Amino acid sequence: MFTQQLVNGITEGSLFALIAISFSLVWGLLKLVNFAMGEIYMFGAYAGWIVVSYITPNLFLALIAGFAVGWGLGWIVEKVAFKALRGVPHIASLVCTIGFSFLFKEIAAAIFGAQTKAMPSFYSSTAIVVAGANVSWLQIFMVALAVGMMLLLQLLFYGTKIGLGVRAVALDYRTAGLMGIRVDRVTSIAFSLSGALAAFVGVLAAIYYNAINPYMGFVPGIKGFTAAVFGGITSIPGAILGGYLLGIIENMSVQFVSSGYKDFVSYLLLIVFLLFRPNGILGKKAKL
Amino acid sequence: MISISRKYRLVLQLCVGLLLIALPYLLGNQYFVRIATMIGIYVVLASSLNLIIGFTGMYSLGHGAFYGIGAYASAILSLSLHWPFWVTMPLAGLFTAMVGAFLGLATLRLRQTFLVFGTLAFGEIVRILIMNWNSLTRGPMGIPGIPVPSLFGFSFKNFSNYYYLVLAFAALVVFLIARLYRSRVGRAWVAIREDEVAASTMGVPVFGYKVLAFTISCLFTGLAGAFYGHFVRYISADQFGMNESFLILTMVALGGTGSIIGPVIGAVILMLIPEVFRFLAQYRSVLYGAILILVIVIKPEGLAGVKGLFVPPSGTARFQFRKRKIDPAAEGQAGGGAA
Repeated sequence: MFTQQLVNGITEGSLFALIAISFSLVWGLLKLVNFAMGEIYMFGAYAGWIVVSYITPNLFLALIAGFAVGWGLGWIVEKVAFKALRGVPHIASLVCTIGFSFLFKEIAAAIFGAQTKAMPSFYSSTAIVVAGANVSWLQIFMVALAVGMMLLLQLLFYGTKIGLGVRAVALDYRTAGLMGIRVDRVTSIAFSLSGALAAFVGVLAAIYYNAINPYMGFVPGIKGFTAAVFGGITSIPGAILGGYLLGIIENMSVQFVSSGYKDFVSYLLLIVFLLFRPNGILGKKAKL
Repeated sequence: MISISRKYRLVLQLCVGLLLIALPYLLGNQYFVRIATMIGIYVVLASSLNLIIGFTGMYSLGHGAFYGIGAYASAILSLSLHWPFWVTMPLAGLFTAMVGAFLGLATLRLRQTFLVFGTLAFGEIVRILIMNWNSLTRGPMGIPGIPVPSLFGFSFKNFSNYYYLVLAFAALVVFLIARLYRSRVGRAWVAIREDEVAASTMGVPVFGYKVLAFTISCLFTGLAGAFYGHFVRYISADQFGMNESFLILTMVALGGTGSIIGPVIGAVILMLIPEVFRFLAQYRSVLYGAILILVIVIKPEGLAGVKGLFVPPSGTARFQFRKRKIDPAAEGQAGGGAA
């Protein structure tokens, strides 16, 4: 059982890590939080579900569809909640994204209905058995995909011009603008990318849990933020570490405490870290 | 806000007062009286959240949970100890205030964004505890059969009677908040909202006043919870979740942060919308989300707000959809770590 929970924890951890990266990306650029991240994740899951159940049962197309939908939603949120509110106290943007979070959730409920829908499973057969724990092909695939995504992001940030722009804007908004970086565009792209990542994770999660509903995004959204704070919201490696640790801790608490308190552990962790170590495990020392 | 001269304001207040007192007779239908009662409870909730958001400039997404704590505390006390409502209601308020004070002491040093998430996490923890603490809260089954309050043999079972009870309570809370706002304490809160550093330089103990605001807000929220529980007579954990916190926040934002009458207007409008547009009932939450976004983007001070929290510093252009360059006045807020 212990190793099984560890395997599940690592799988869920890769999902949390990717959401945490989305939070970290936006935080790094704008010192802002997008509360609607969980709902973008949910819409990604629905996009994947539409592709799989109505168009073609192809997992990769579903992932691409999720990515695209997330990109679009991220773009919309950025334009309304951040660009239009530039110069207004930060809290206005946050409250605006809270509004988006509810708007998206309820729009999904109005379009698709509030009931839970089944998502077909892929690669669910057992691949290997490690110390009594069944590891399915899907779990291997998910972890591999998550790690691949992280490497790709690393390549994007450190190997391309747009990545250089993102890093420059994150470092110093004003100077980056003076150096000829189109700050608005870089911000917009990074924001859309963060939405796309969240929606991509949404598709993976839908396949992993085999179920989607309009309210599925809230908890992963908060947990992604928890993972980001846990690992250090100012650093992307911190977000990854936080995601995996959170996934493992959560599944261990299922094993040792009770499954009813699974979410409890994450929320407690969030409060404790916010209070006592707001820079997280790997975060740079900065006043939050 | 529209300024009305003192004489007319008194007349207006009298008229509104008379209208509110005559309301059950005017409405006739018990269902409408029930809605009017719920509006009264939400007026209290929105006004007390406004204490935090509008007066002091802090944030809380945990108010749904405080509301629930008040409702559960009063229900459990009256069902297990058979104490009357007039004892359990104040005790529930005090208990909620105590929890709020502890949470405030712990989290109010956090910055706004993190305070939002801290209180949100707290709210979810409360919900999970209520769901899992079966021996105390009956978990997911909820608590049915909460007794109806009565006073000297006079029962408030009738919706109209309960309406007057809630009306008196809501009027008292709004009156108290208005008095607080104009007192020394209220001025200290506004000073903190406008500029924390300046306030502390002038000798205002910022942290203490923040905790005080949070505690008083939680007191009123807990009392509202008690009134709610004894009104609907069945409570369960899912009535006090994140959606409730969001609804109260939208009421405050729509009505206007930092004004006395704003949250009242917000509560009335948001509670009436689904009743007036019955065909929209299914989409009412879509509407709430859209209202919150539109208010913040188009009219950040709300319908009746004084200078609210969402209003940019003077001299800053608001709409920048078409603007390409960075506004130097806005830059201090948007860039770097300024918050």
